[in-house]
Amino acid sequence: MSLITYREALSAALWEEMERDENVFLIGEDIGLGGGAFYVTKGFQQRFGRDRVVDAPLSEAGFTGAAIGAALTGMRPVVEYQFADFVTETFKMIVDFAAGNHYRRMGPVPIVFRLPAAALVSGGPYHSQNPEIWFFGTPGLKIAAPATAYDAKGMLKQAIRDDNPVIFIEYKKFYSYRPEDLPAPLRIEVPEGDYTVPFGQARTLREGEDLTLLTFGTTVLEALEAAQVLESEGVSVEVIDLRTLVPLDKEAILASVRKTGKLLILHEARKRGGVGGELAAIVAEEVFEHLDAPIRRVGAAESPVPLSPPLEKAYLPSTAKVVEALRELAAF
Amino acid sequence: MRAISYAAASEPVRPEELTGLDFHRDLADRYLAIEGLEARWIPIHREGLRPDKETALRLHHLLSLTRAVEESLDSAFRAGHIPGTAFFGRGNEASSVGSAACLRDEEWLVPMHRNCGAHLAKGHPPYSIMAHFFGRADGPSQGRDGNFHVGYRPKRITQLISHIGTMVPIAAGVAWSAKVRRNGQAVLTHIGDGGTSTGDFHEAMNFAAVQKLPLVVVIDNNQYAYKTPPSDQYACPTLALRAPGYGMPGFLIDGTDVLVVREVVSQALDRARRGGGPALIESVSMRLSGHSVYDRYADYADMEKLKLWERERDPVKRYDQFLVEYEVLTPEEIAASHARARAEAEAARDQALKCPFPDPGKVADGVFAE
Ligand SMILES: Cc1ncc(C[n+]2csc(CCOP(=O)(O)OP(=O)(O)O)c2C)c(N)n1
Ligand SMILES: [Mg+2]
Repeated sequence: MSLITYREALSAALWEEMERDENVFLIGEDIGLGGGAFYVTKGFQQRFGRDRVVDAPLSEAGFTGAAIGAALTGMRPVVEYQFADFVTETFKMIVDFAAGNHYRRMGPVPIVFRLPAAALVSGGPYHSQNPEIWFFGTPGLKIAAPATAYDAKGMLKQAIRDDNPVIFIEYKKFYSYRPEDLPAPLRIEVPEGDYTVPFGQARTLREGEDLTLLTFGTTVLEALEAAQVLESEGVSVEVIDLRTLVPLDKEAILASVRKTGKLLILHEARKRGGVGGELAAIVAEEVFEHLDAPIRRVGAAESPVPLSPPLEKAYLPSTAKVVEALRELAAF
Repeated sequence: MRAISYAAASEPVRPEELTGLDFHRDLADRYLAIEGLEARWIPIHREGLRPDKETALRLHHLLSLTRAVEESLDSAFRAGHIPGTAFFGRGNEASSVGSAACLRDEEWLVPMHRNCGAHLAKGHPPYSIMAHFFGRADGPSQGRDGNFHVGYRPKRITQLISHIGTMVPIAAGVAWSAKVRRNGQAVLTHIGDGGTSTGDFHEAMNFAAVQKLPLVVVIDNNQYAYKTPPSDQYACPTLALRAPGYGMPGFLIDGTDVLVVREVVSQALDRARRGGGPALIESVSMRLSGHSVYDRYADYADMEKLKLWERERDPVKRYDQFLVEYEVLTPEEIAASHARARAEAEAARDQALKCPFPDPGKVADGVFAE
């Protein structure tokens, strides 16, 4: 067990899976010789060769399709996009072909799409987006969104062994966070060897009695900070990290809301079309009688992601906005 | 019609096997001289390209200004003034300037992410570029975007998104509108060697050829796509060779010689304006600096080769040498032109650093046209 970075955890998962199963291979732009834009696959090509760490031409649609084709024959490709935003190049390959193949009784498509996503200091409109909003409504795709190094490693291994296409969202912001700088609930030691994190199991980052705060991805940070503030005001907030969006740990969500009676949903994506709308609907449909206050959501502003620092700050959800929403709910 | 096999023309050879500075010329000689193919190398005797003094000065100013604007931006980045990242076209100045300088004021430019020189040649003021890079209110996107993801509507320069390849179909659409409006205009766009691997690029080339659009596509082949060399990018000996496959003429040119670029692009634009259809021009240069300001170039590049290109094929230096050699300008006139360009770039930078940031209260304004 040791404290490693999110990036190191991802590298370890890929390395160990490639050692374990020769059907696993990596494909993407600049991942071999260059080690990838974020150096997750640094040194891989030297160890595994050019056939297992494939430097693809600048053709996301083409190499995604090719990887899916290889997956049909039982190989287990891990496709890297340089930035999650470029996955829009490949929609029909993923959404129309890979996602529905098994339903059409044409067999499993065991493939992982690695998407370095979300905001990272002035990434601007095409290097900051939250891709779950594009895939959440598509049957047949699993969506993983690890927020800790422990989950990054265990969930990537799980994704590679899963027989379904997995949209694996990585948070660029977390790649190089030093474990010692993280809040305690996120500072989790990572086992050296093999382990997996099963999909569909949320993690309670912090237990509480008065309010439930549901989140995933980058906003676990703001959620924990805000919960801390509320604690000093005598309000106890339960913070839950969903970890996977498909499958969704409905039981954990409903159990927490039954206990607290109040729900705030927080994510980095915009509210409109964001996953929070679905979460709110599930809670309203299934445990309405337990709610003591309206469900609230905090998300980004309803615009593309702007680049200039003051605009980006105004766009993104912040601890202050979460604190404000929690206070309103607490007072209800 | 006889079937053409390019490999039959001579021994097949890969670009990386030709290590000399003029490998593109060797390739053109081997592959583009096949009878029946419209792709060809245009040997242009440099004496024949000798510009008049006014033109010579204008081109010199633009080349030098491009270098100076990018160097000012680079120093601003080092000083922490650029949010996000920055792409520079060091080594690409001749291709950017030589091409866009041929456009008329009313014609559209659809640039890529390394075409600072094309922006300047089309009339995008350095102040506006700088304000954009610094995320300020006076940039064309008013802080919504950054880097060379920028257009300038007053001078008919489109914006570009980051997704590479996307702009080529869009450029084709701009050209299509010129065709159906019969306004005699042509459209110029640039794409990288990496960008030619996208489906969008192929779809656009086919569409432009089928529709006979007034579109000139310049491939800035700077021998890298981020960290990827041509050997991992394409397997045809030259990208210009694809042109006859699409059904348009293709040219392979020295993209570090501003006069060569200008000559070939202006001929292609004229032909397009007259209804002759599209053309593909592969303009060969070397990316003389890293992919972005964050790139660790030496991790993956052949630095010796880079130094050779820097010494022999720096577009700014080459043009200086040409002007002196052919006695178009004196060394003093050249030095004065460089000094003017530098002063202009630095003044624009200093002014842009004084420009306010956009109002965060307006973050969600302008999503829809009113
Ligand atoms: C569709 C897409 N995939 C990946 C990227 C990330 N990316 C930005 S620039 C670049 C390399 C582009 O190479 P090239 O087309 O040769 O242009 P150059 O940068 O060399 O001028 C890549 C891969 C992108 N912008 N768009
Ligand atoms: Mg290139």
